[in-house]
Amino acid sequence: MKLNLTIQPRFRIGLLPIILLALMGIAFIVAMIRYIYGIGAISDLSYSYPWGFWISFDLFTGVAISSGGFLIAGTVYILRIKEFQPLLRPSVLTAFLGYLMVAVALLVDLGHPERIWYMLIHWNPTSVLLEIGICVMSYLTVLAIEFAPVVFEGFKWKKWAHFIHRFIMPFVILGVVLSTLHQSSLGSLLLIQPAKLHPLWWTPFLPVMFFTSAISIGLAMIILESSLSSRYFQRGLEIHLLDKLAKAIPVVLAVYGLLKFGELAWAGDLKYLFTSGLMSILFWAEIIIGVAIPMILFSFKRVRQNPNALLTGAIILLLGMILNRFNVSWFAVKHPDPLFYLPTFMSNVHYFPTLPEILVSLGIFSAGILAFGLAAKYLPVFDQDETGHEALVASSPAAGDYMTEPVPASSD
Amino acid sequence: MTEIKHHTYLFDATRCIDCRACMVACSVENNIPMNKTRIWVAGVGLKGEYPNLDRASMVYHCMHCEHPDCLSACPVGAYHKREDGPVIYNPDLCIGCRYCMNACPFGVPHFDYDKGIIDGAFIDKCTFCPQRIDNGLEPACVATCPTDALEYGERAELLKTAYARIATHPDRYINQVYGETENGGTSYLILSHVPFSELGLPDLGPTPVNEVSEKVMEMTIPFALGWGAVLTGITAGVALHSNKKEAKAQPPSDEKTEITK
Repeated sequence: MKLNLTIQPRFRIGLLPIILLALMGIAFIVAMIRYIYGIGAISDLSYSYPWGFWISFDLFTGVAISSGGFLIAGTVYILRIKEFQPLLRPSVLTAFLGYLMVAVALLVDLGHPERIWYMLIHWNPTSVLLEIGICVMSYLTVLAIEFAPVVFEGFKWKKWAHFIHRFIMPFVILGVVLSTLHQSSLGSLLLIQPAKLHPLWWTPFLPVMFFTSAISIGLAMIILESSLSSRYFQRGLEIHLLDKLAKAIPVVLAVYGLLKFGELAWAGDLKYLFTSGLMSILFWAEIIIGVAIPMILFSFKRVRQNPNALLTGAIILLLGMILNRFNVSWFAVKHPDPLFYLPTFMSNVHYFPTLPEILVSLGIFSAGILAFGLAAKYLPVFDQDETGHEALVASSPAAGDYMTEPVPASSD
Repeated sequence: MTEIKHHTYLFDATRCIDCRACMVACSVENNIPMNKTRIWVAGVGLKGEYPNLDRASMVYHCMHCEHPDCLSACPVGAYHKREDGPVIYNPDLCIGCRYCMNACPFGVPHFDYDKGIIDGAFIDKCTFCPQRIDNGLEPACVATCPTDALEYGERAELLKTAYARIATHPDRYINQVYGETENGGTSYLILSHVPFSELGLPDLGPTPVNEVSEKVMEMTIPFALGWGAVLTGITAGVALHSNKKEAKAQPPSDEKTEITK
């Protein structure tokens, strides 16, 4: 297709890569300051607020927006709905880079980043964070394996690509299991704070809420990522596929909304809906932006088939759901009161993210976007156009060859 | 001195004069830098109008819970609950994730935000002075308290003492010993003449806050295995089904190949 020729001049010296590189450089310098002088030197984290912007944005949001990978991998490999295959590689790539960004961000946030591997050998089985750590590390490996064929194809090592493909199924299943576990247990992370998290959010069913909303976030992310990359790389948009994904969103959101309000009613917490001041406002904001509006929007065929409307809907959903992650992990968490005669190190009882904190996250995010761009340029991430796709459907009777279709020999 | 089976503190807020000698004693005993402390004094300050003035303060340090939430939360098991009471932290395992700070309902563990990776940033909290209690001495804070607001001994004995004191002065004390059942029981018992919330203590039930999260964690492995088995089953089923279909519709006409559902 024409895309091979049109990408390159656009991407060669765009303004975007330069901005991204600059942001990465700044983040690197800030991170060095943090490693030398301590977390307190660059952040507003304190005795009262051990977790802040990094955890809410890099961990909670980062993991949630990476959930598209397991959804599409499961759909294509396990359910064998092959038509979604054009979305497979970009989704797996997004997920892989997303988790990589989470891991890098945690290396800044952890007090002892050099000991992160202790999670592999010292296990405390009651710790939710251990489960998340193990799952994220394993899933990163699984995603690397799932994406490896694309890299091998890029280097024209077809044998290796096919070799991995023979054994891909167990990894796909493992990937879905690991994703289910840690997407939900990100919610379980807050289960230990019934005394701190506001009752509008704290519920024993937090893991279920998180998993359900992660599905809707994953679907929206696929729409966002396809739409943006189709604009940036000027390639075709798989609008018929995105339409189908968007159709599933209202269903998922309806289930999520029912769960959420059902649980509130069951726990007798409905009274907080209008009486908790700012907390009530935040709750309604995330419900209206993240659930109600997208549910209505994506119910219309006209919206689902219009690229601009589709993208807008996805962005609205993501904003609302990201607000949910921030609420659960930050805004709705009540920290110990400043009721003490405070020693100096405890003196900061209010938290507001500092500029360096945000710069670190921004830099890591930029690295992810740049990596996506480079991969999209040099690896066959989007190269499954009509020819490749249909050749596959006709010619692969065996399971698991969806990722290794022949790269058109005339690509250069 | 008789051996103590369950080391416990008893604090009586009516006796505390807010002198903070315990803070100094603790820092000296445990070699804590000047800008940090393992103990702090909580309270509301002065209340009421002259001449009916009132104030209440409380020595706040690790509660040494019977079911510690820091221990439950720590991913690498850096915390350890000794059978005779104290909750101990081992810096050699700590990865600095600060989940314990989130988990602790009392906000006890704190972190070296001012240390880089070369100095090593660790969690710090009250250790119950094992170097003293294992040698038959009282913890430093208790030994130094000039008014006996802080006492130390066997948990059952101290509970008895506490209730006896309430019985002797029912007008003076709130009829409750904080820490007897709160958060599943703690090794730090508190008597007070003002509501406990005014001393900065959270309102906790008799079940430890880690109960739900531990129950969910117990279900994780069975759930993972079950879900994995279900997915394997679905994979096999779909594969069989679609192979049959493809065998039937052998001559592949590119446009019309049915998408497997």
